[in-house]
Amino acid sequence: MSEPPKERVKYIDTNLNLPYHYYAGDYKALYLRALKDKKILGSRCSKSGKVFVPPVIASPETLAPCDELVELPHRGIVTTFCVVNVPVYGREIEIPYVVASVALDGADVSLYSLIQECAAADVHMGIRVEAVWKPDGERQGDHTDIRYFRPTGEPDAPFESFIHRL
Amino acid sequence: MKTFPKPATIEPMSQRMNVEFPYKRSTGEVVGRFLAGLRDQKKIWGLRVSRQGVVVPPQSYSEVDAKAGGEWVEVAETGVVTAVAEVTRPIEGLHPSSEPFAFVLVKLDGADTALAHVVLDRLDRLRVGSRVRATWAPDGERRGTIRDIEAFEIVD
Repeated sequence: MSEPPKERVKYIDTNLNLPYHYYAGDYKALYLRALKDKKILGSRCSKSGKVFVPPVIASPETLAPCDELVELPHRGIVTTFCVVNVPVYGREIEIPYVVASVALDGADVSLYSLIQECAAADVHMGIRVEAVWKPDGERQGDHTDIRYFRPTGEPDAPFESFIHRL
Repeated sequence: MKTFPKPATIEPMSQRMNVEFPYKRSTGEVVGRFLAGLRDQKKIWGLRVSRQGVVVPPQSYSEVDAKAGGEWVEVAETGVVTAVAEVTRPIEGLHPSSEPFAFVLVKLDGADTALAHVVLDRLDRLRVGSRVRATWAPDGERRGTIRDIEAFEIVD
């Protein structure tokens, strides 16, 4: 035969498997363990006073140490968000769902979280939200301890109050 | 905002995890037929493309002048090693073998480019310039992937 088969192989499975051993580091370890106690920790920059959540050892802006750890409130503002319409492997949430940047009150950067208990179309920049936690005894000290954020019904935050902490 | 007292000692925290990308890739007309050749004919096919000679594995255009198309050419299952990268500590689930092995480039006899594959045995004798031969997965176990060639073995 002077050529390969006409009936070709159409697809190949190329499973990429990356086995990691991840070390959290001091601040991330404290942050995750605090979630178990229903606390959200941040760290304050010794130079600018900005509060980072999750806490960082040094400010990426001033490079100064952030040695004061602070406890943040469980409420904040949706600064920016994305409506997910495509199911993602390994994530069993009914579509469409919303993933948002949430700036907690007093924090200068935002966290990523799901927004639930409202229609995807109702989420907007500036909407006030609060954390919904896993019940006592079920929290493991990982990022799933906050199940999601939900709207509080408070008036929207003005744009100027969150534009610098998207 | 309340200050959180920093503990004197912080217990280290770590977690083992597997990041998985379960891709399914579309082969295309040319590589799809190359793979069917491995599975159904136990033959290694190249494509003679413009100004590049016989390219193995084949591709549907020339890398030199981007001209499409070419003529199918069967190449030998023997060839010469042009590059070696030995993996002395393979990672389970990531590498194609759990024992030390080597990634190699093999320029098959009749081809003008080299094919990436593995050598599993007699690594102490493996050099750039070593002559090697393809070993095949048994009939009925070839699935139309590059691992239908199980490995290359050193030819004395």
